[in-house]
Amino acid sequence: MAYSDKVIDHYENPRNVGTFEKGDQDVGTGLVGAPACGDVMKLQIKVSAEGVIEDAKFKTFGCGSAIASSSLVTEWVKGKTLEEAAAIKNTEIAQHLALPPVKIHCSVLAEDAIKAAVADYRKKKNSEAAE
Amino acid sequence: MNMVSETNPVAAGAALHPCWSCKGPVANRALFCSVCGAVQGPGAVDHFTRLGIAETFEVDLRELERQYFGFQRRLHPDRFASRTPRERALSQQQAVALNEAYETLRDPLKRAAYLLRRRGRTVDIDGAATVNDPALLMEAMEMREALADAESPADVSKIAAKADAEVLACQCAISGALGADDLDRAANLTTRLKYLYKLADEARARKAKMTRPML
Repeated sequence: MAYSDKVIDHYENPRNVGTFEKGDQDVGTGLVGAPACGDVMKLQIKVSAEGVIEDAKFKTFGCGSAIASSSLVTEWVKGKTLEEAAAIKNTEIAQHLALPPVKIHCSVLAEDAIKAAVADYRKKKNSEAAE
Repeated sequence: MNMVSETNPVAAGAALHPCWSCKGPVANRALFCSVCGAVQGPGAVDHFTRLGIAETFEVDLRELERQYFGFQRRLHPDRFASRTPRERALSQQQAVALNEAYETLRDPLKRAAYLLRRRGRTVDIDGAATVNDPALLMEAMEMREALADAESPADVSKIAAKADAEVLACQCAISGALGADDLDRAANLTTRLKYLYKLADEARARKAKMTRPML
């Protein structure tokens, strides 16, 4: 199976690899995994007071497609609102990276990861508001 | 004639169907018709019944191998060289079915997933489902990070040894959970085992890479 140039680009030069402090109030963390490959993916967002994603980081242990999918998502979500970020579809990721059918689940994982990060951030905000 | 029927009378495998050749009764698990001796296609039986072993996670691997190779010997293509095309085709289908049963049962991960499926629980070890178990994922992330950060072959070896020990401990825990019919726990542990396999694989690969230039 040949990877597309875009996958190789993201795989060799991943964008936004790293970690934010998980406990920070303006950080949302999504941790997901796909048992098919034994992959694990962490995607974090840093959100402004206005609800806009200022920065994003990821750490993925998995195949090239999983790394490329999460790398791409961190690029895409910067500057987006939480609603916009949560609306990203795996099909857009798969299409952009020209993922072959057997690697579609990697894009599903990236979609799940950003949704989980947004949900984590909202949960934090809600518990903050409740205090 | 039939080795299975003597060693393991399992109800599912003891069900009968008419032999395609002589129409005589033949057990679903049988390789050959006990009346006319004609080879049979693979019957609708589970993997354990097909290989004539008891249905449990605690498979005796030596027994499993003995059964498998015993059956495969009887299906060797040389024995069917002068037979009809139909018999050759059926013997091949039997060999394929036995292969699948053997490959599933000899691997603890596949065996656990198969046993769970037999009890109505699907653990998606090959599929695209996303795991949403924070504790399990956190552990997986930490172990993979530790491996990525390991700099010397000795450090990697330590992680590889720990992964192998965790794999064994996890298999014991799966056995216990299945024995107690705790399917939630068994399913969870089976997913964990998949991650531990991956960690052990990656650790071995990393070690090979690190030590290669010294060869």
